Amino acid sequence: MTAPAILLVEDEKEIRHFVCAALTEQGFRVAEAATMAQGLIEAGTRKPDLIVLDLGLPDGDGEQFVRELRAWSSVPVLVLSARWSETDKIDVLDAGADDYLTKPFSVGELLARVRALLRRNARFGEAENAVVRFGEVEIDLMRRLVTRSGETVHLTPIEYRLLSLLVGNAGKVMTHRHLLREVWGPSYVESSHYLRIYVGHLRQKLESDPAQPQHFLTETGVGYRFQL
Amino acid sequence: MAMLDRILNRPLPSRPRLAYLWVALICLAITLVALPLRSVFDAANIVMLFLLGVVAAALLLGRKAAVLGAFLSVALFDFFFVPPHLSFAVADVQYLVTFAVMLLVGLVIAHMTSGLQQSAMEARAHAQRSQALYDLAKLLAGAASVEQVGEALKNFMAQHGMEVALLLPDDAEVLRAAPGSQLSLNETERTAAKAVYQTGHSLDSSMLSAAEQFRFYQYLAGASRGRGVLVIAPQGGDARASASDRALIEAVSSLIATALERLHFVAVAHQSQLETQSERLRAAILSALSHDVRTPLTAIYGLADTLVVSQTPLPSAARETLQAIRDQSLHLNNMVSNLLDMARLQAGRIKLRREWQPLEEVIGASIKLLRPGLRDRKVAVRLPDNLPLVQIDAVLIERVLCNLLENAVKYSPEQSQIEIGAALQGAELLVSVCNAGPGFPVGKLDAIFALFERGGAEPGAAGFGVGLAICRAIVEAHGGRIQALNPASGGACVRFSLPLGQPPSIEPEVLS
Repeated sequence: MTAPAILLVEDEKEIRHFVCAALTEQGFRVAEAATMAQGLIEAGTRKPDLIVLDLGLPDGDGEQFVRELRAWSSVPVLVLSARWSETDKIDVLDAGADDYLTKPFSVGELLARVRALLRRNARFGEAENAVVRFGEVEIDLMRRLVTRSGETVHLTPIEYRLLSLLVGNAGKVMTHRHLLREVWGPSYVESSHYLRIYVGHLRQKLESDPAQPQHFLTETGVGYRFQL
Repeated sequence: MAMLDRILNRPLPSRPRLAYLWVALICLAITLVALPLRSVFDAANIVMLFLLGVVAAALLLGRKAAVLGAFLSVALFDFFFVPPHLSFAVADVQYLVTFAVMLLVGLVIAHMTSGLQQSAMEARAHAQRSQALYDLAKLLAGAASVEQVGEALKNFMAQHGMEVALLLPDDAEVLRAAPGSQLSLNETERTAAKAVYQTGHSLDSSMLSAAEQFRFYQYLAGASRGRGVLVIAPQGGDARASASDRALIEAVSSLIATALERLHFVAVAHQSQLETQSERLRAAILSALSHDVRTPLTAIYGLADTLVVSQTPLPSAARETLQAIRDQSLHLNNMVSNLLDMARLQAGRIKLRREWQPLEEVIGASIKLLRPGLRDRKVAVRLPDNLPLVQIDAVLIERVLCNLLENAVKYSPEQSQIEIGAALQGAELLVSVCNAGPGFPVGKLDAIFALFERGGAEPGAAGFGVGLAICRAIVEAHGGRIQALNPASGGACVRFSLPLGQPPSIEPEVLS
């Protein structure tokens, strides 16, 4: 199997330089683009396995890039954001991006996110991965069964729906609005306290230290991410 | 008719004695003209000539002169034309009726004619005032400054023989004479003006006990608040201002109030336009700064990090240097973030995005975010069960907790433990972050939250003092308080409060 191909769309030369170096050292094949237009062309011709995208490009917004890309491709997108505004992150995630990193970020973090997204994509549609394991927890998505240290964990229907949605999108940041719409329905998109309370329930039932969760992670102001 | 108008519009002679002399002359002239005709004319026609004289006197010389004319005419008629001539005696008693009717008609004519003239004059004065007020209104509508309003007012009042002082409140609500005020006020008058401004009711000196000279004090009412007081000295300090004078003063006051109101709102609009512009500029600078500073920092951090984690072996000294570069650039980044946040907070334009959420989640996210910066410290979170949701801006409270944790790491010994706790107290949730460090310097417990203060004087501990100032700004924006304390058991704590509210209800899930 050939090494995964990654397209890096970033206008700052120095940042492109080190991201490219870090990814190449890990054995990825990396293509570079400095503008949105070039990035879209590269994405169309090279068909990368993952796109690392800077949010502020000289010829357009990252959100615009993702919207155009999503019209014909479902390749995972990791956004690099120098912006402090949470709404920018939410917008690009709602447009279809999968995850984001706020600058500055460590190489370790970058690689972890890249691997998580590639893994998620590779698993896509494979039936044998219907069982998810993390810590002492085992989730059998086929049989709708959740166990912790071998004992069955009782989840309410909503808790289970939320869990399966988060686990099914492992590594991906899910915005509050998205989760509320999928689990509770469109009329609940403003009632974020529901989501927060139910995520709290899941942490109580499935995390070893609910106050410092390792798997059900908070992306403050944006949403949640399930991490294996 | 035109001639009559002209006569009617003539001003009355100003000196009454001269008018009486003129009336006497008119009556004498009529007598002289009529005397040669005495044998030709009927007595009734002579009476008509005299009545004509009364009409002329009423028109030209005014009511009092006409009344005198009526009496004089009767006397002259009796003396020269009623037999026996050159005597006041009356031979035929029926002439007494003639005298009575002649006097009565003369008086009525005097009264009516002068009344007519008076009302014509009033109408004329009224029209003049309306025109003058209209001109003033036009001037005020074009006035671009308080100075121009004052100037227009002064000129207008001078035309009407009055002097004015325009008193406007300054920022401290103290009345000050605006430019163009030529009337200087004494202490009593200033007190009266102040009272008028405070009560919002116009006065004149007749309502004041300690008045020296007669003054009008007009309250200038704006739509939302008082705009000032107009003090007017009428012509010659005359207390008996006519009703039309009062009406004029009222009209001028409301014109001035409207003009001042307009100038005020023009200034407000201008100010807010300036503020919007400077706000936009500030936001643009902050966002550009954020981008321009963070981009090279990201590159430095990333490049150093790439080498630190690379599989290529490096000499240990080089690796340590790279680690230092990486850590310092991260530190610099935090500092820049704090400074930019402070700038945004100080602009006072930060909008809290408050949502109901469990405190636990924000604490967990903060610890996760700061994990690399915590080094070897352990963080213990002790929260009571079933804490209510709090309505907070999670991003900002996360920033508070991160700054407090960073601070705790900075001032506590290695391998020590940092504790985060929470407690309910009354209508507040108290959150504390404590470390096992030497504690805050006594006497500076409040000062550490001021900008650019640093707790201890340890040379090794880096800091900017912005962190705690931001914490205070954020907590206060949430309606809470923040304080530093050195608990008796040792260590240092920072405690902040968040107001509890009425969390929204949750529909219980129907379990099937």
